Amino acid sequence: MSGTLRFSAFSVALLAVAALAARPLAAADAALIAAAKKEGEVVWYTTLIVNQLVRPLAAAFEKKYGVKVRFARANSTQTALKVLTEAKAGKVQCDVFDGTNTAEVLRKDDLVLKWLPPAAKNYPAHLVDPDGYWIATNVYVLTPAYNKSLIKPGSQPKTYADLLDPGWRGQMTWNGSTSTSGGPGFIGSVLKSMGEARGMDYLRKLAAQKLVNRSASARKVLDQVVSGENAIALQIFNHHAVISANKGAPVDWIPMEPATVVLQVASVARAAPRPNAGKLLLDYMVSDEGQRLFQKANYLPANPKIPAKTPALKPEAGGFKAIYMSPKEVDRDMPRWKKIFDDLFR
Amino acid sequence: MAGLAKPAAENAGVGGGGRSPRFAVNPFLAAGVVLALLLAVLVVPPLLFLIEGSFTGPAAEGRGTVFTTHHFARLLAERRLVESATNSAIFAVGSAAVALFFGGLLAWIVERTNTPWRGLAYLTAIISLGTPYVLYVGAWLFLLGKAGPVNTLWRDLTGDGGVLINVYSVTGMTLVEGFLWSPLVFLLMGATLRNANPEFEEAARMSGASVWDTLRRITFRLAMPAVLALALLVFIRALEAFEVPALVGLPGGVNVLTTDIFLDLQTQVPPDMGHASAFSVVLLAVVAVLLYFYGRLSKSAERFSTITGKGFRPRPFDLGHGRWITAAILMVNFLILLVAPTLVLVWASLLPFYQTFRIAALKLLTLDNYRAVFDAPYYLELVGNTLLVAAITSVVVMALTLVSGWLAARNRRGAWLLDQLATFPLVFPGIVLGVAVMQLFLRVPVPVYGTVWILIWAFVIRYLPYGMRYSYSGLLQIHRELEEAAGVAGASAVTTLRRIVMPLLAPSLVAGGLFVFLLAARVLSLPILLAGPSSQTMAVAMYDLWTNGQGTELAALGLLWTALMTVIAGAFYLFARRSATGPFGNG
Repeated sequence: MSGTLRFSAFSVALLAVAALAARPLAAADAALIAAAKKEGEVVWYTTLIVNQLVRPLAAAFEKKYGVKVRFARANSTQTALKVLTEAKAGKVQCDVFDGTNTAEVLRKDDLVLKWLPPAAKNYPAHLVDPDGYWIATNVYVLTPAYNKSLIKPGSQPKTYADLLDPGWRGQMTWNGSTSTSGGPGFIGSVLKSMGEARGMDYLRKLAAQKLVNRSASARKVLDQVVSGENAIALQIFNHHAVISANKGAPVDWIPMEPATVVLQVASVARAAPRPNAGKLLLDYMVSDEGQRLFQKANYLPANPKIPAKTPALKPEAGGFKAIYMSPKEVDRDMPRWKKIFDDLFR
Repeated sequence: MAGLAKPAAENAGVGGGGRSPRFAVNPFLAAGVVLALLLAVLVVPPLLFLIEGSFTGPAAEGRGTVFTTHHFARLLAERRLVESATNSAIFAVGSAAVALFFGGLLAWIVERTNTPWRGLAYLTAIISLGTPYVLYVGAWLFLLGKAGPVNTLWRDLTGDGGVLINVYSVTGMTLVEGFLWSPLVFLLMGATLRNANPEFEEAARMSGASVWDTLRRITFRLAMPAVLALALLVFIRALEAFEVPALVGLPGGVNVLTTDIFLDLQTQVPPDMGHASAFSVVLLAVVAVLLYFYGRLSKSAERFSTITGKGFRPRPFDLGHGRWITAAILMVNFLILLVAPTLVLVWASLLPFYQTFRIAALKLLTLDNYRAVFDAPYYLELVGNTLLVAAITSVVVMALTLVSGWLAARNRRGAWLLDQLATFPLVFPGIVLGVAVMQLFLRVPVPVYGTVWILIWAFVIRYLPYGMRYSYSGLLQIHRELEEAAGVAGASAVTTLRRIVMPLLAPSLVAGGLFVFLLAARVLSLPILLAGPSSQTMAVAMYDLWTNGQGTELAALGLLWTALMTVIAGAFYLFARRSATGPFGNG
């Protein structure tokens, strides 16, 4: 064969292979959609905030696929507890769950399905579980925040050392439950960035500041600062502060270094009563369309193709240092952080 | 309540008139046995599994469980138990005092004087019966919080940067719980005062005693046993309270026994069931002892407030011009207990996020919260779920207690056992029953966890005593002559029940059913542990809204739900007045 002909044949062959390769993917999607539609609904145990993201995402999913979404919101630990108790009682009720370390906790009891949506191929390695049990839907950056009416902008604490100032005694609040977005998470961050000895010393000094513990979500903790109940909130989601500020709340977040970055990961439950609907929802959450909903709600999408609406929220674009904690790390060290929290701050 | 048991005579009555009974088995005995079994299956297993769970720990190596006293040892060694128990005790005493002060004062003003505007007190009581505690507590936190109107006004007036009241403290908790219980105390005390024997007061007045003297030396002394019994009841209920300690105590760092149990189950993976069970057993034992004393106090209280049959009630005092002072007291009470929380909820429901009341904040007002409530089909499902669960519970409870109460009131053989079984669940604090039922269904391989059926099971257990009280008291008012007449005419037991007893008992049955319905619709401590995604109740959803930072949406939802429940509560009150029992039984 002549060179041109060989090249043409080669191109045609390449195109044919590409076409064939593309078709199984589309066919799997169609089969999955059909199976999910037959199941009719999907139950989602989420840690995302209902009126910020869960409702719009559920509505969009229902509109696109006609599969009803039933959700229940609780923090990572309570979500894990629910699934564990249901499994023990012989009847798992949820199909999809998310959280910062829920998947790692439930993996130990073999309650997570080893399945990743096709979009996982385009995600950076650290956003996907190497063993295939979870994929990140969004990224959280945890920082302090303050009420601009109670504290003049400019005189807010800017460093960790500033937090020890006696003027802030009794003015700070945080989430007291077992979560990265709360006291235990703050403790983990301090220990990781300052080292064991300096970190414990700092925490003991912080305990003298009489922080107010709330067993509620970080969203609620920030609301207390928004309403003026407390002046400063620690270890809250910085994108929540932006969402509230956009609605007119006198609140702003503080890029205190180092901030904590954790992943929000989602998985399908292994004994899910409606596995196909679950897979379809997970697929939707990390698809371009789903991730754009995260972006619209001012969250920090994990998908590298979809940037955040407020890029300054992320450490790289915002120009502040952050330490990253992987789900495995969080799962491994959380019991210790919780114990330090109970000993020092309760 | 004279215990004249005449089994032979009853049998003769039923089978008399020349007809021999068709069945060899005494239908009353058969019914009694069946009921005793049913009640035992409901009431006993949770206790057994709870005790078993408190003595069970994981085996040293490998899987499996082993008997251990480790949980109790750890419990007694922790300083937390002493701290929590002390907090619980202070909280309970304080709430009882506040509730008795407000409720008692109101009861006397309404039942024994000619003060105008008495209806306001009833209105407050009726609305409070339909209000979920979560909503009420949330309203008080809005009101008394640092950013609330009370503290803001204080800061504006004094220029002080701090607060007048720190609601997240034992004081704050006591105040809110006291407010929560005032309407019920009002109803209970009101019934006592209404049914009291008026002879002594009449004698005092005829001898020329003043209002104050009569009050101090006669009314108060006569009512004292009932007041003490009531105080003890509120004390016990406050010990078991969950909403106020969870929403007010936890953020303030005040731990009580019930929240400790809750935290054991909600804040670590895997949950510390053994520790929670041990805690629960301790709390249960304390409540059981207190209930025993309450039972004895109640009986002595009844000696002073039996219905005399003389057909007249105590004459209300004519306070003259003084009645405007008492009317002012009524009005202040109405404003504090009902109007203030309602107004702050309306304010919160119109905001995108809670802000203190300022002219500047008025531009933030929006109907978004109401729109969210109406748009989400989820809330309609919740309403349906809650009403369904409450209705089924109510029907089952009244059916069981109708027959049990009938057997007990007519002193059939073994009726004592039925009475004990039906009132036994009083000993379970709500959250403890939740733990116990959870333990039960984790062991028994029936997959009801997370469905409405486990909720109904737990609710029926919890509200059996309340249903029993209405049935039993109502039945005592119906003289057995009527049933004996039916028996003589040849009616079977079932026919007598259907055509004589039930129609006469109807007001009590409906009142009891509605009361159980209202309680089941607003309880939180049970469904918070047992509900699943398809069996959520309104109370749990409200708690979630509060802790997930959707307080303003909670305000909107809460106001709408309370409006609905108030209609039902109003119906309850009307039936309760007509029934022999009155709201909450004989005095």
